[in-house]
Amino acid sequence: MTVKMFRVGERIALGYRRRSVLIWLVMTAAILSLAAATLMLGKLGLSPADFVDILSGEASTATEFVLQRVRGPRVLIAIMAGAAFGLSGALFQNVTRNPLGSPDVLGLAAGAGAGVAAASLLPWAIPTAVGALAGAGIAIGLVIVSTGSGLSSTSKVIISGIAVAAIATAVTQFVVTATLRDEASRLTAYLVGSLNSRDIGQVGLIAATLVLAFPVILWLSPRLELMELGDELTTSLGGKAAATRTQAILVSVVLAAMAVAVAGPIAFVALMSPHAARMLTRTSGPNLVGSALTGALLMVLADLAVQQLPLVEDLPVGIITAGFGGVFLGYLLLTEFRKGQS
Amino acid sequence: MTGLTATHLTVGYGAAPVLSELDFTVPEGRFTAVIGPNGCGKSTLVKSLSRVLTAQADMVQLDDKPLQKLKPKLLAQRIALLPQHPVVPDGVTVRGLVARGRYPYHRPLKQWSADDPAAIAQALEDTGMTAFADFPIDELSGGQRQRAWLAMVLAQQTQYVLLDEPTSFLDISHQIEVLRLCRAITANGRTVLAVLHDLNQAARYADELVVMHRGAIVAQGTPHDILTTQLITDVFGMESMIGSDPWSGTPMVVPVAD
Repeated sequence: MTVKMFRVGERIALGYRRRSVLIWLVMTAAILSLAAATLMLGKLGLSPADFVDILSGEASTATEFVLQRVRGPRVLIAIMAGAAFGLSGALFQNVTRNPLGSPDVLGLAAGAGAGVAAASLLPWAIPTAVGALAGAGIAIGLVIVSTGSGLSSTSKVIISGIAVAAIATAVTQFVVTATLRDEASRLTAYLVGSLNSRDIGQVGLIAATLVLAFPVILWLSPRLELMELGDELTTSLGGKAAATRTQAILVSVVLAAMAVAVAGPIAFVALMSPHAARMLTRTSGPNLVGSALTGALLMVLADLAVQQLPLVEDLPVGIITAGFGGVFLGYLLLTEFRKGQS
Repeated sequence: MTGLTATHLTVGYGAAPVLSELDFTVPEGRFTAVIGPNGCGKSTLVKSLSRVLTAQADMVQLDDKPLQKLKPKLLAQRIALLPQHPVVPDGVTVRGLVARGRYPYHRPLKQWSADDPAAIAQALEDTGMTAFADFPIDELSGGQRQRAWLAMVLAQQTQYVLLDEPTSFLDISHQIEVLRLCRAITANGRTVLAVLHDLNQAARYADELVVMHRGAIVAQGTPHDILTTQLITDVFGMESMIGSDPWSGTPMVVPVAD
């Protein structure tokens, strides 16, 4: 597994592994196929002829409606929110050196959801994104304060995360019971994570978040590789451990909060993606690209399932990820605590 | 004054600071062992000399410049530190680990420098790890693993190599391997400062000893010059005799009266 260099002139040289790049390409192809399937399957599905029409700018009104209002935003949000969750989880797990240190386990996603719910109660309009960010910030703050030792202790973080998630759920429940019935059922669907009736503004929000996060993550990534060696070595190699951790957590919180703002507090995508990516690419390091692609893949897959599979039809996508994620979390807990014992 | 120096270095507060008013210049081009009882401040001294522990103001200087004033990467091109408990990243190979020692020579978008391959190959060669380059670290023995860490530190190509208890938790043959390696590093002009526990190994392999007690340096010099029964009593609270190592003739401390 030798590292090769992608070079542009004298200024740019980025390392990569051939196996990783192959896996990335396969995953990208899978995401695109699933996205195409999402657009094509079912009653409202577009036919290949419709695609030709769209490309030549001669699509019918009905086709445009399906693409721009019904299926298009939904599939774009699935891909981008999934990528944001994956990146967020990878950043968190890397700088906390805690395989369970991800936004969902920490109660951050639940906090962002509670923030959105609480914002809906206020008499003046607060953008969903602001509510999500505030909720996520408060949740992560509570976890950091309550463990007393930051985010590196696996068991303390899980326990604090459970407590914070419980508080967030209480806030959310209160909001749901306090609001009118129509609003409450909409809110309930949002809070398990649903991709129904997304609009183009939300696509823009998550797209902008990813575009802004990209250069920051690129700039952080060499130091993230160092962070795995422990704070002392990171510092002695010139990598500024404390600053790197703060910066990575900030980016991670923003990514998770924005993903929650557009897709709801979707469970466990952030937790699963980095682990799945590491198993697939078999590399060390923060695995950012792999985690983003895995997150996107999981979300598109789950969303396609709730649209087309008979048993789970019309369930919010978050239920599916919670089902798989819960099993995966159990598996991680077992292996982690066994490792701790040996 | 050139070189790596500590002046009035005080770390910790209150009645019993970890280090108090300590003055020390790292002996250039030599293998120096820092010895002393548990909790005497050995690790603290070594960490303070590398900015892993940030000393106050200008207490630690490299060529007359306070460490804090130097850019982190430039400092990392001059001083390397191997901590006592480095974290092994999941699934990393020996070569991957050693390559991380090249970080100080990279920039955010340029994760490569022309000297990387030669530096990595040389570090693997010097530590006898070339044959293991593509092995995952988890599959190595304790001694090989420690050599991999040393290779990483050597790939950093620094003038100063600081090692915090590099031989602890290794069995005797691996301890000796590491000590021989320390001596070999200084043979090509580099400076090694290592915290060691075994007095006799320190006396046999190091050029110079720094003896610490309660946050201060109480003796410094060649093993022959400074190891006395009085010093051992004062520092370790143990009655001893000093003989000579049957192989190397270096001083050998033997406990007595039991």
